[in-house]
Amino acid sequence: MKTLFVDSYYVALRELKKYFRQKTRMIMTLVQPFIWLVLMGNMMSGLTNNPFAAQMLGTGNYLSFMTPGIILMTILFSSIFSGTSIVWDRRIGYLDKLLAAPIKRGAIPFGKTIAAMVQGGIQSIIIIVVAILMGVRFATGLPGILVILIIAMLFSLILAGISLAIASKVKTIETLMAIINFFAMPLMFTSNALFPLKVMPKWLEAIAKVNPITYAVDPMRTLTVTGWSRTILPGIGITLIIDVIVLVWTEFVFKNAVSE
Amino acid sequence: MDKAIIVENLKKTYSNGTEAVKGINFSVDYGEIFGFLGPNGAGKSTTIKVIIGLLRPTAGKVYLDGFNIEENPYEARMSKGYASQETSVDDRLTAYENIYLQGRFFHLDAKTIEKRAKDVLEMFGLWERRNDLVDSFSGGMRKRLDIAGALIHEPKILFLDEPTLGLDIQTRHAIWNYITDLQKNLKMTIFLTTHYLEEADALCDRVAIIDHGEIKAMDKPGVLKSSIGGDIITLTFSNDKGKTDSFLPIIKEIDNVKSVNPLKNGIYQIVVSKNGDEVIPVIFSLAQQKNINITSVRLKRPTLDDVYLKYTGTTIREAESSREEIAKQRIMMRRMRR
Repeated sequence: MKTLFVDSYYVALRELKKYFRQKTRMIMTLVQPFIWLVLMGNMMSGLTNNPFAAQMLGTGNYLSFMTPGIILMTILFSSIFSGTSIVWDRRIGYLDKLLAAPIKRGAIPFGKTIAAMVQGGIQSIIIIVVAILMGVRFATGLPGILVILIIAMLFSLILAGISLAIASKVKTIETLMAIINFFAMPLMFTSNALFPLKVMPKWLEAIAKVNPITYAVDPMRTLTVTGWSRTILPGIGITLIIDVIVLVWTEFVFKNAVSE
Repeated sequence: MDKAIIVENLKKTYSNGTEAVKGINFSVDYGEIFGFLGPNGAGKSTTIKVIIGLLRPTAGKVYLDGFNIEENPYEARMSKGYASQETSVDDRLTAYENIYLQGRFFHLDAKTIEKRAKDVLEMFGLWERRNDLVDSFSGGMRKRLDIAGALIHEPKILFLDEPTLGLDIQTRHAIWNYITDLQKNLKMTIFLTTHYLEEADALCDRVAIIDHGEIKAMDKPGVLKSSIGGDIITLTFSNDKGKTDSFLPIIKEIDNVKSVNPLKNGIYQIVVSKNGDEVIPVIFSLAQQKNINITSVRLKRPTLDDVYLKYTGTTIREAESSREEIAKQRIMMRRMRR
């Protein structure tokens, strides 16, 4: 078990070293949430002037409502590409090199998942800082922000895991991209990340209720807008359960894909 | 067990029913350079992948440094280093980072890695460039880095899959020197596959030729070459026919000469069982004594190519490469060409 974690650490270290070297990518993760917050925040500010809408959102500040959504959206669109690294590693023969080494095979997808979680955490911190600069006040302060970070990272595990599992089965990056794009957008817009469940039509609400984003965004929003509350527990619990299921599934699919 | 590699009745049948390897046997001595040759799709890659633990054998046993790869997979993996034909170094890491991670994947501690990394990087002339991104490296440097990384855990056996594929002649010779140095200085056992027969001839103590999943021939390159007929000396005489004819029986008496066959216009072909280069001076001194004029001489020795073609035929293989394989090859070639 210890070996699994040590091996995973070095698999993750490789991904992270490369991540920190990509200046453009780092800048984009900074710029993107900024644009979202400014644009959407501005667009929707008219909405929150309507007291009825403000009641729906649970806050008079649409930015506060939206910040958790932006965090998850940014994570969604980065973590879901984790799988590309497996496809690429297979192409350049690095995967064979890893598989021929005496490391635990499970450490390969697990390490890449950890890397995705760390990246997700970094992106979340950036967004939170930008949000604070734009006037968002987190109701639960620094401890709450830490919990938000943890939930965000748990959420990135789900996406990275699914992406890695699919990537272990497909042979080309193009196929992987096609599958990912098919899921990413609908996942985002059938959740309550940008709009409250209350304003959704019944059918959309039904879909949103089985969308993992909804369960991750819920406690994050409570911590941002309302404050400490027991109602954050179901969301965190369900996210954790999905994490475990995805991890087990990813490990199974990967080991299966590399053993002939 | 006193063999570095032992392969017993190894069979590999893929889940789609393809019998890639049909029960092969061979062993490699410690300190030996063993070449594994064969056309595309002959079972070469499958065999190497089973031995290094990327594929599971369908039947048969493989021992690396005495460890059964299925019963003691950890020890078997630790006993070997592997440099794939794709040259799997990470472009976006520095040379040192590549080596460092490789060391960690082989469970070495930081101190050991620090020391060994310096050794292997110096051995392959890359120490000065250790902090440069591999992205800026030439094909030959990448290959050297890949082999250096494969040695970080001091394996007894080194597997090199097509070590000079896509490299220019100078770089190829440089890699050859590194390989022979490994054998000479570190007593390393080296198992290599190659498509370049002059490479196998120059490097290998023994070669095996595999085709259709079976080993067709296995021996020292020299023995294999002489097994398909010896050297051929072609002589042109400028004397009249009678005088030349009187000289032919004298040639037949020389050691190792098997037959003398007239071709046309005073050109004769002499088949020698071995050492054709030593027979030529003997013919010349005899000819001088008998006042015979030789105007041209040519020595042709059988090459490993002739051996290879004898056992694998001359048909071009329509290798059933998947799209994936072709894409892989293309990327590899592009990476190596600079």
